[in-house]
Amino acid sequence: MSKIKSGDKLRFFQPLSQIGLSRLLGETRTHHPITPGLISIENTIEKEGYSGFFDLPFPPTFPKNRKDTEVLIWNLPDTKIDKSLAKGFFLSEQPFYASYVPDSLSLENFSKYIDKFQSLDEAHKQIFTLPLSYVESPLLDKIIETDCSLYILTGISALFNNQRKLTETFVKLRERLPPDIAIYLPGPISPAYYSFLIYSGIDLFDNSIAYYTSKNGYFLTSDGAFSVDNHPPCYCKYCNSAKPELLKHNEMILKNAIGRIQYAIKTDTLRSLVEQDIHSSVTFAASLRLYDNNYSENIQSRTPIISSAPLKCIGEESFSHPSVVEFRKRVKERYTPDPLSKIVLLLPCSAKKPYSFSRSHMLFRKAMKDGSKELLNYISELIITSPLSIVPRELENIFPARFYDIPVTGQWSPYEIDETKLILLEILKHYPKETIILNHTYGDGYSQITESIEEMTSFEVINTSDSSHPTSKNSLTKLSSTLKEISQREIKSQERSSVPQLKQIRATADFQYGPGTGKLLFSNAIKFKGKYPRDRQIFYEKKQVATLHKSTGFLSVFPQHAQKIIHHSYNNLKFMDDHIKGSNIFAPGCAEADNRIHPNDEIFVISNNKIIASATAFVSGLDMNKMTSGKLAEIKKKVRN
Amino acid sequence: MKINKNLAEIITQIRNDNLESRSHSRDLVHWEEDHRLRSGAAKAIVFILPTKGCSWALSNSGGCSICGYLYDNPQHPDFEKIVKSIRGALKGKIQKDEKYSIKLFTSGSFLDKKEIPTEFQVEILKEIAIYNQIEEIVIESRPEYISSNTIAVLSEVININKLEIAIGLESSNNEILRNSINKGFYWEDFEKAVKITIDAGARVKAYLLFKPPFVSEYDSTKDILYSVSKVVESGVDTISINSISIHRGTLLSDLFEKNQYRPPWLWSLFLLCKEIKTQFPDLRVICDIVAGGTKRGAHNCGSCDKDLIEIIREFTLTQDFNILNKDVQCSCYNEWKSYLIHEKLSISDL
Ligand code: SF4
Ligand SMILES: [Zn+2]
Ligand SMILES: [Zn+2]
Repeated sequence: MSKIKSGDKLRFFQPLSQIGLSRLLGETRTHHPITPGLISIENTIEKEGYSGFFDLPFPPTFPKNRKDTEVLIWNLPDTKIDKSLAKGFFLSEQPFYASYVPDSLSLENFSKYIDKFQSLDEAHKQIFTLPLSYVESPLLDKIIETDCSLYILTGISALFNNQRKLTETFVKLRERLPPDIAIYLPGPISPAYYSFLIYSGIDLFDNSIAYYTSKNGYFLTSDGAFSVDNHPPCYCKYCNSAKPELLKHNEMILKNAIGRIQYAIKTDTLRSLVEQDIHSSVTFAASLRLYDNNYSENIQSRTPIISSAPLKCIGEESFSHPSVVEFRKRVKERYTPDPLSKIVLLLPCSAKKPYSFSRSHMLFRKAMKDGSKELLNYISELIITSPLSIVPRELENIFPARFYDIPVTGQWSPYEIDETKLILLEILKHYPKETIILNHTYGDGYSQITESIEEMTSFEVINTSDSSHPTSKNSLTKLSSTLKEISQREIKSQERSSVPQLKQIRATADFQYGPGTGKLLFSNAIKFKGKYPRDRQIFYEKKQVATLHKSTGFLSVFPQHAQKIIHHSYNNLKFMDDHIKGSNIFAPGCAEADNRIHPNDEIFVISNNKIIASATAFVSGLDMNKMTSGKLAEIKKKVRN
Repeated sequence: MKINKNLAEIITQIRNDNLESRSHSRDLVHWEEDHRLRSGAAKAIVFILPTKGCSWALSNSGGCSICGYLYDNPQHPDFEKIVKSIRGALKGKIQKDEKYSIKLFTSGSFLDKKEIPTEFQVEILKEIAIYNQIEEIVIESRPEYISSNTIAVLSEVININKLEIAIGLESSNNEILRNSINKGFYWEDFEKAVKITIDAGARVKAYLLFKPPFVSEYDSTKDILYSVSKVVESGVDTISINSISIHRGTLLSDLFEKNQYRPPWLWSLFLLCKEIKTQFPDLRVICDIVAGGTKRGAHNCGSCDKDLIEIIREFTLTQDFNILNKDVQCSCYNEWKSYLIHEKLSISDL
């Protein structure tokens, strides 16, 4: 049943995408998606919605050919079965091992288990049982070295009321295991916990809770369990047949629960789903906060930056959403304003995105023009907003700035205010000291932030919206007249300032590839074709060198042209060979990947100090360095020589 | 090494913590029950002899992880008194036209002369040899006390064909014997003891344990089936599947209290009997359910427990396969299924 040959060095799973600690895993050859998923503990007729099922003789009978009778079969479509690496995994030859023995006993048994496991033939080495207490054991390396693809995690439910241990363990697990190993949490787990546990890195559950609840007369719904005698109506076919089938109904609820998360991962909205769901458990709510506060590094670097998913900010958790934190971090560390900026204009955000398309920002724009047309290109606009803190105008089109949504604006938590002040002051360091700051914001939260400029810097600050709302006639007139007044002063430069599009792509490149790359990539001689909202093509010396994508707001830079930033890019992957066969980068071909690479990032493949291709990353750089088999990235463009 | 030192240490610790409460002396306990002889229905008289207990349990290896019999044994046995009590009991109980089996249990090994000095082994059997109605004498012993010598001593007093030695093998898997039960002997020792016993003209009954600690119920079922095949091959004609009951003061009890062990399901025992009897119709299959239907013994959901226990009891007494064909239904059947698979996955395999 298994085609796995020894020495083949290929795991059954291939990460197709990665979001924080979680991933979407597919079968390695066909890329058929398998996790996150549900395993049926028995061979059922209705296989839809299951990732796989156990096929064990039940109850056990006298041994005939027992060796190959206990299997976990993956639910692959007929068209893909023959192409896939294996149909399923054998279970029967695992050695005796007791997971819950007292600690002093289990170490001996654990090492014995490892020894026996290693001695099994390849086909029986696909499932390994990992007791929680051995996540850090050096012995585990011996298993990680094999191509064992599925780890059964035992003992985790004991931590369901210990958020510290729980988060610590999940993070350790992710740091320890390469991302192409699936983690299966067996046993009855409430579907209400799925999203959090998947967010924490669990890939597979089973349907045993359907059996437990059905037996005890519980009717599962998406809002929890009810008594079978008194529950909200259900119109599924099992509830409406002559003989209602509780087990089948409950199974369906589990399948739907998993399906909902699969969809969230595909659409890159898992985090928002988790923020909604964690309110079902005190431990999990606290755990999410711990992830954000203590392990944000581990999670952020595995969260895609290139996305176009709506980002719903619901509660306080959203301020520490990994994509939001990463945005703040990059603005702080990578953003540099156009060097010819003379004026900084601080603006409030708008509900509509991008801000420029909102009524309020159009009014600001008009007031600015009315004030002084010649000054326009010397104004650096910074939008103050929760939870992103500061969005420079040049970056308003990228994720998540164009995609976030908050229910109430102008509500600031003390922590948010402090963080925003910090970033604002950091950005202001880039401006010469004669720069004038126009503060066109109004309200308590905003003023707490902007006050710090006067306290901490020597910039001249003019408040243009101090007595009424920024869109009020009063404020708009004040903005115009202030600008007019400034234009009369001698502050214009001899140098011609850059056009807004150039500023935008430079800032985007800095954000995407690392500080300084924008200037190196795009000189004043750059030409544009295509207007927003279409993809904008970027030309240099009559050749296209890059594209600015309308969907995400991010760039693709052609590899020839990217040579200019080879020493500055944070997105480099050093390749073993001098040329790439096929259209993928495989783990053995990777000499070293930059740890700052995020999944979905556009990366540059380097050989002998030359960029030879651009590619799209499947997983983070951290994890690329951990994988020993499978695809790391898909080639976008190769340099022809 | 037949002993896992770490496991033995833990067990010894638990043993020592619990031993103090032991009584100094105790009387002989006995009762009468229905019994199945190879020749048909009969009565059995069961004696629990108040010896000082199993030498293995008293050793510094701590004894078996599942056994707390020792705590019921007195520290200072009085053998004269024991012999006298047996004599009296037999006199009072034995009827003229009834067949009997006599079971001499010590919560240890009858043949261990440290437990019962040889002279008293002989004295006790002499009392039994008086009655012709007694067709079967059952004693229990660990394999290491079974030798042609120890049996020869007995054959001087009784008809050795009547003797059945019950050996607590528990499992034929040395891994389980060593790492789960701390049995102190291996399958090979059992095999040797069987040969000696059968060569001497006596018979062997093998006890198999369902389900030992650290072994999932699914795997314990597999282990029992595998062990039955091996035991039958070695020439044994009676097996007794001993469903666990959790003795206080044992490692098993500690695990149970920490929620790390669930006693077996009655479904498993029921289906085990069925599978074994189908495969080996001539084998005498005894299934002894101590504390059945309670938390510390084999149990199901509570509503079907009684029915299943009764079926298994009846089957044990009659050896009639048809009894196992009764259609029992309960909604806990599905829960049992999922429990077994979940437990198997958590504990891993044999
Ligand atoms: S199970 Fe038997 S051998 Fe083991 S300690 Fe108890 S009496 Fe002794
Ligand atoms: Zn329904
Ligand atoms: Zn029941």
